[in-house]
Amino acid sequence: MPMTVAGRFRCAGSLSASSVGQDTDKMTMTHKQQILAAARGGKLDKLPFGARIDVWYNYHSAHGTLPDKYQGWSQTDILRDQGAGAQARFFAVTREEYRDMEVVETNDPPYITTEYHTPFGNVAKKELFDSSEGPWIRYEMEKLFKSEKDYPVLKYVMEHTEPADNFEAFNKLREEVGEDGMVMTAAGGLWSPVQRVMREIIGYEQFFYELADRPARVEELIEAVKDLERRKLQVGIECDLEIFNICANWSDDIQTPVFRRYFVPWFQEVSEFLHSYGRLVMAHTDGEMRRLNPLFRETGIDIAEAITPAPQTLVSMREFREQLGDEVTIWGGIPSILFEPMYNDDDFDNYIKNMFREMAPGYRFIVGMGDNLPFDGDINRVGRVVELIDKYGRLPIEV
Amino acid sequence: MADFSLIAQALDQGDRDKTVALTEAALGSGANPQEIIAQGLQAGMAAVGEKFSSGEYFLPDMLMAARAMKAALEVLAPALEQTGIPTIGKVVIGTVEGDMHDIGKNVVATFLSGNGFEVFDLGLNVPAQKFIDEVKEKKADILGMSALLTTTMPVMGRVIKGLEEAGLRSSVKVVVGGAPVTQDYANYIGADGYAHDGGRAVPVCRELIGK
Repeated sequence: MPMTVAGRFRCAGSLSASSVGQDTDKMTMTHKQQILAAARGGKLDKLPFGARIDVWYNYHSAHGTLPDKYQGWSQTDILRDQGAGAQARFFAVTREEYRDMEVVETNDPPYITTEYHTPFGNVAKKELFDSSEGPWIRYEMEKLFKSEKDYPVLKYVMEHTEPADNFEAFNKLREEVGEDGMVMTAAGGLWSPVQRVMREIIGYEQFFYELADRPARVEELIEAVKDLERRKLQVGIECDLEIFNICANWSDDIQTPVFRRYFVPWFQEVSEFLHSYGRLVMAHTDGEMRRLNPLFRETGIDIAEAITPAPQTLVSMREFREQLGDEVTIWGGIPSILFEPMYNDDDFDNYIKNMFREMAPGYRFIVGMGDNLPFDGDINRVGRVVELIDKYGRLPIEV
Repeated sequence: MADFSLIAQALDQGDRDKTVALTEAALGSGANPQEIIAQGLQAGMAAVGEKFSSGEYFLPDMLMAARAMKAALEVLAPALEQTGIPTIGKVVIGTVEGDMHDIGKNVVATFLSGNGFEVFDLGLNVPAQKFIDEVKEKKADILGMSALLTTTMPVMGRVIKGLEEAGLRSSVKVVVGGAPVTQDYANYIGADGYAHDGGRAVPVCRELIGK
């Protein structure tokens, strides 16, 4: 069932404080205000910067190898010290609860096995979850879907999963970050419905085999996941977050015809719903985007986040700007690999300066990582980006 | 006489049933199974790889073609029992330790296999020593390593150093790939080749071993 959009523009309490645009005194704007203003098309006087360092931070925290100066510091405090805005990450403002089925979770580190016992039969998945090596690894070693007989069970699981609010945990992190950046999160999970079926429930390769062999069954499952996501959005909209991430990890491996048929209509529906509440819509687009960029403009999504250009992908920042158009805010631009020791300081500076030129005049652009500071990256290059913005990132950038 | 181009065409379209039916028909008409592979299946896979690299095809197109090829090879297997499937080189391949991503690696393995390489797929999360041991044991011509994370990317460099220490470096060509990996990075760690995608992996590997 389609979602009902808000009858009138509605903006929750704390949204107004940071949802400033052209009228704000630019000199006093916080990092959060700058990011939101850029995302809403406001004319800032210099480029905003939201940096993501959790891969680097998790790795060095786990190994006790944070630089001496930063021992015991939080990610946000380190970014404050570097002068950058924070881009913290929180999975979702809803969590899943189950009814009329038994869900048994067995924790055997680093694996978590979850079994769903339903009247139609049972399904199980085995996941690996770990962040000690840097990235948030959550990999389904064993997918829920095993064979055709699992479709009715999976449909039942989706239909009997109910979202509950997870606002308290989100608000705690948001308070920690405060006005020094944004906490990126979603109403539901990491994925949009089709992405969830493709990556998490069936698995990438099997998904395409199933779509070729049993399209009606796959589409029925996708619809069940969509209905669950709609319920999550109805809960999530009560949280006053400004930006909703509605899908992660876009890349060329999402076949363009599949994207056009199954992803675009969903994004249009969700964007319309969120826009009717005055919220911004974002996608984590950190992969090879060369063939998805033209379709991005049809989705209604406001922010393409974690944009990762050449040399890590085949698309330059100039091409991203041209292909995504002037209405989409680009957040990203510095490929992770640039922070690696193989690139010296001059290489790094030259890349950043060239990126600014390619993005001229620089509006609707938030400097950021594609998508993280690598574990062996130099944290002080985050501060170097701040210096380069002060020197070369004044808006409008003139070439 | 069997028209091998029809097999190549069916495979190019990812049509498993048609590829199998045409392969069965060709075999039934007395065609040489090695010719069916070379002029039908491998020709079809080469076309798919080129179309993928040029941007015409997508990863799922490669997967469907690979599935069709696998099914056709099963049809040919009894006829190839004596001679085996002809190979042009041995490849040990895997995703490095700490990395659980294998879609790209699987596609590369499938394409190499479909283009005449004998592939030993070690899977994902492969320890450095395992790569070295397998290169030695299989007498591999090529070692292919994949990493999707900047965190795991340096492991590829450690494996190359391990090959040097084991005295194996000169006997094997190392090809690397994966989302964060670039040609610059491949040069930096001392790899011999870099493939941006599955379609390019085949010509890169062929060139490295002069086939």
